Amino acid sequence: MSVLRLDSLYKSFGNLVVTDNISLIVDAGERHVIIGPNGAGKTSLVNQIGGQLRPSAGRVLVNDHDITGWPPDSISRMGVARTFQRNNLFQNLSVVENIRLALEVRLGNPLNFFAPVGRDTAMSERATQLMAQVHLDGDGARAARTLSYGEQRQLEIAIALAGEPELLLLDEPTSGMSPSETARMIALIGSLPRTLSILMIEHDMKVVFSLADRITVLHYGKVLATGTPAEIQANDRVREVYLGMVH
Amino acid sequence: MELFVAQLLNGLVYGVLLFLMAAGLSLIFGLMNVVSLAHGSFFMLGAYLGLAIFKATGSFWLAFVLAPIPVAGIGIVMELLFLRPLYRRGHMDQVLLTFGFTFVFLDLVQTIWGRAVLHLWAPAGLHGIVHIGLGVFSAYRLFLIGFGFAIALVLWLLLERSRIGAMVRAGVDNAIMAAGLGANIPALFSGIFGFGVALAALGGIAAAPILGLYPGMDSEILIPAFIVIVIGGMGSLRGAFVGSLLIGIVDTFGKAYFQGVALFLIYLAMLAVLLVRPQGLFGIKYSDASVAPAVTTTSRPASLQTRTSELGVLVALLILPFLMGDYPRALVSEIFIFAIFAMSLDLLLGFTGLMSLGHAAFFGLGAYAVAILGTQFELNAWLGVAAGVAIAACGAALIGFFCVRTGGIPFLMLTLAFSQLVFSVALKWRDVTGGSDGLTIAEQPSFFGFSLSRSLVMYFMTLSFFALTYWVLRRLLNAPLGHAFVGIRENEQRMMAVGYPTRAYKLLSFTIAGAIAGLAGGLYAIFNGFISSDAIYWTASGDILIMTMLGGAGTLVGPAIGTALFLLMKNVVSSYSEHWLSIIGAIFICCVMFFSGGLWGAAQKLQWRRVAK
Repeated sequence: MSVLRLDSLYKSFGNLVVTDNISLIVDAGERHVIIGPNGAGKTSLVNQIGGQLRPSAGRVLVNDHDITGWPPDSISRMGVARTFQRNNLFQNLSVVENIRLALEVRLGNPLNFFAPVGRDTAMSERATQLMAQVHLDGDGARAARTLSYGEQRQLEIAIALAGEPELLLLDEPTSGMSPSETARMIALIGSLPRTLSILMIEHDMKVVFSLADRITVLHYGKVLATGTPAEIQANDRVREVYLGMVH
Repeated sequence: MELFVAQLLNGLVYGVLLFLMAAGLSLIFGLMNVVSLAHGSFFMLGAYLGLAIFKATGSFWLAFVLAPIPVAGIGIVMELLFLRPLYRRGHMDQVLLTFGFTFVFLDLVQTIWGRAVLHLWAPAGLHGIVHIGLGVFSAYRLFLIGFGFAIALVLWLLLERSRIGAMVRAGVDNAIMAAGLGANIPALFSGIFGFGVALAALGGIAAAPILGLYPGMDSEILIPAFIVIVIGGMGSLRGAFVGSLLIGIVDTFGKAYFQGVALFLIYLAMLAVLLVRPQGLFGIKYSDASVAPAVTTTSRPASLQTRTSELGVLVALLILPFLMGDYPRALVSEIFIFAIFAMSLDLLLGFTGLMSLGHAAFFGLGAYAVAILGTQFELNAWLGVAAGVAIAACGAALIGFFCVRTGGIPFLMLTLAFSQLVFSVALKWRDVTGGSDGLTIAEQPSFFGFSLSRSLVMYFMTLSFFALTYWVLRRLLNAPLGHAFVGIRENEQRMMAVGYPTRAYKLLSFTIAGAIAGLAGGLYAIFNGFISSDAIYWTASGDILIMTMLGGAGTLVGPAIGTALFLLMKNVVSSYSEHWLSIIGAIFICCVMFFSGGLWGAAQKLQWRRVAK
């Protein structure tokens, strides 16, 4: 069963084609990693799945529901959560408030205008669990802007997980992180349950090969190859345009 | 046919005057992201200085050429000394700063030239009328049309063909990048600001022979000029030109052929354009996510005021009326009512991040509901208040539906235009509203059997509604819904990504704020016993914005403190000095410059710093 299916997705800005007939499938529980050189159209692709960008043609299906062109909030309620390449938090709010905003809309009653937020203990416990899961225990009261860069990326993950999504879109979760922070992030993503499917953009090959079930290589908006890590490593064209450049 | 041509030419004249205003406004907005509410003041200053030069020299043309120069000088000084330090802050601070200056300039003009309408005659050479085949026409008006089109052509050539024009266009696109490529952005900002101000001043002197000179001419040109840039598209010169002529012609024909609805026609034109193209005719595509929030407060989301201090204040407010006479009691009652109004605006401004310059419309709906239902249907005033809240909520939902599609400055302008639409209805529908003469409330109700004609009863009535509103809003802000509003203020894109239909939430905030403003309006009608269209003119929306920001947006206590300060100042200062407008304007300018979070915000910061130590 595929959680996500892209059917000939196409997006252009004037003459610039950023997504050129991409078809792709993410199966339930799969960790699918998208790699490709800068400008390959990776983030544009994730933005079209998350609803931040409207495709010019083609279809996006989540659990066989056509969500093409839906607004981001509706897509989120279909069980798709995402993180952003650049930290995109509620900088002036505390860590726990950041998480609660995401919890409330999917699991609580965001239209409740009378009961103080703190009174809902089930929700508070869930927020505490999430903070522990991303190694931010004890930081609940800190404003997001006072966290280190790596901690902010961990908070990004906690916000995405709060909605209990079926599909998680991660846009370069380790970008800008130190080696020790990266190792912690790999462990964190690796520990997520297999009930959750993940589509992830990543540059760091160590991260890619330690997490990926399957890899899709993008090049100038097109799919160059899709396969298991071993298949991708053995693929001559991939080595030529991409891996060759890195190593 | 003759009349038709004459109206068309009149429309073009008005359009040309609007263009001189709108071109500068639009350039300044496009380049610096500043909407200058003082732009109408520069139009007015141009006209009055032109008159002064004319009186000194006897030459209209000398006045025409010279008057814009000192006004541009004032504009450049304002940019250098006051606007420049604020560029790093949210762009709303700059809007507010220019609003403070409108007070100062208005007072200046009233002090030097008085309040009566003055006249400046067209120059002798253009006094006559010209036969242009299809009829006769004033020579001066024909000159203005030609002059306006020539200015438009020169502006277009400057922008498209000159080196400075290229820098301006680059700066409009991306100021930081243009600076990196060698454009002297600070000098460009000052230059363009001064240039835009000079155009407005030129418009003022050009308009003087047709429209006359009077304090208040600033607002009367500013609002239609805003509508022009909303229709034409912000930051687009072509949009300003097409929009000006469109509004000029629509307005003139409306006044000639459809007198009853003339005032609404330009608003309807604006609505029609915005429904089809929210970014205006020539505006670049507008996206929700790219708009900076109105206010960047450092305050906590729903500030936790401690119960004990709240209780202490309540006890003090319960004792207070017994220590004072009738007049101060009435003043404090008025403060309570306007504090309710300010807190409702703050829900929108400080907590949802949307700056409305049309909030007085909902105050007016509430007040008129009490007055009209009372006089026409002899409805009890309390039922009138309830109806007013409902009507204000419905009005806010309807107006908000259009406004929340935008954010930032476009939101400000849309709310302004809609509130002026409501104002026009109140002004023109004289049979029902009494127009500018107003309506007297038929019968003052009682409050739990006590007569509200006693100042003590009025005090406790307004206090109870104030306390109730404060309590309800505090509950709301500490509840999930309030947190969602703050989330939208902080990062709307992320709110959408986690699943909030943010536009619906913004509409909800707008509606709640409108309903509470309606409550304040209804109470005001009972308190004042009288309501006229003046209470909902756009400056009333500006005043409540000042009160909210003065005290500190993004807190609940701030707006109440700001309201108290503003009304106390107004009452105390106006009893000592005729120049209370200037004094309040100056105090407000200082507050914007030095206390970015308002007075309460500054106090809280101090307190946190002490706690941190």
